[in-house]
Amino acid sequence: MVNNPSDAEDLMQEAFLQLFRKIGTFRGESAFSTWLHRMTVNVVLMRLRKKSLPVASLEETTEPDEETGGPRKDIGAPDLRLSGAVDRVNLERSVGKLPPGYRTVFVLHDVQGYEHNEIADIMGCSVGNSKSQLHKARTRLRELLQEEVREQARQVRHAAKAQTAHDD
Amino acid sequence: MKSYGTASSGRPLGVMAMLCKDVEAVVEQEGLAPLPAAVSAHLSECRECRNFLADLTSIVDVARKMPSEIEPPERIWISLRAQLESEGIIKEPVLAPPFEPGVERASWWRGFGDLFRSRALATTTVGVLIAAAAVLQITNDNRVIEPSSPQPSVVALNDFSATRATLNDQEPVARGMILASTSPVDASLRDNLQTVDDFIADCERRVKEEPQDDLAREYLANAYQQKAELLSTMMDRGGSVN
Repeated sequence: MVNNPSDAEDLMQEAFLQLFRKIGTFRGESAFSTWLHRMTVNVVLMRLRKKSLPVASLEETTEPDEETGGPRKDIGAPDLRLSGAVDRVNLERSVGKLPPGYRTVFVLHDVQGYEHNEIADIMGCSVGNSKSQLHKARTRLRELLQEEVREQARQVRHAAKAQTAHDD
Repeated sequence: MKSYGTASSGRPLGVMAMLCKDVEAVVEQEGLAPLPAAVSAHLSECRECRNFLADLTSIVDVARKMPSEIEPPERIWISLRAQLESEGIIKEPVLAPPFEPGVERASWWRGFGDLFRSRALATTTVGVLIAAAAVLQITNDNRVIEPSSPQPSVVALNDFSATRATLNDQEPVARGMILASTSPVDASLRDNLQTVDDFIADCERRVKEEPQDDLAREYLANAYQQKAELLSTMMDRGGSVN
């Protein structure tokens, strides 16, 4: 969630501290695991907001193409397929760049396997909102990974040019 | 349903062919699989959407292989515990004092006493004061110290001899007065009396084994007192019926 092991350890400890401090407030209206997850998510989000990390509006969308209404395409750039370009390392790196809300839903759903009704419970939102944020998270990840692919391609071209110039 | 003619490939466009934004809306609500037929039809015609969904599927496939849980390092738990202790939320368990004669007995008696007290509380609405004679007898018991140094256990039990004798004499009388009663209250009294007798037997055995055990003596004295109460109540009930 925080893309930083040190922060993750601090926040884990903080979440458990909150658990012990507030255990008396647990009323059993939801599963204990849901209650704990909700508390943990709140702890993490509060820390991220304090750090003033770029918190994109939860309404941020992939701006649809006005003509076809299709997925946004970077003007002038080829439509890159990510086939074979997605691995755990670059995905984790990209997840770390997501806005906190998107990151939370993506991690809960696609990494930890929670259903949308459970995520809605944890995050205090609607099921529809959870689905929407997940889709936006995935779409944003695609963009981030495409940028990374382009950057790697640029570096390869640059290295090749430098090698050619050196050979000459 | 409306038809929009044919596509450039010659295939009929079908009914209200989906736009790319429609496909995205469906995927957002329904997920990546299974895809409705209309979406599949659109994908067969639209390379961009096809690539889009394939990329999302790749992302999800990799995400599902990421570890969902990671064991934190031990120092986290140590630090957490220290913080909880500093806030007083958790406390170090109080170590039981080393074994000393009497300490172990105290814990044993405490548990037994709790059991007895709960049963005593479960007894009836006995609120009758103990018979004055029984009370006086218990409180006026004197220690009998034999000059010939008898066994300590004998001395200890002798402290209660008069009380025991009085209660034992009265018990058959009290039982007889409600013997024939089928009242739940009287049945409860009989049960409770049996419980008290069992407890007295245990207490007497304990006092005999450990004459210096003050707690055992206290429990025995309380047990006699409660027996006196019960007998008094049984007599009152039996007397009122007769």
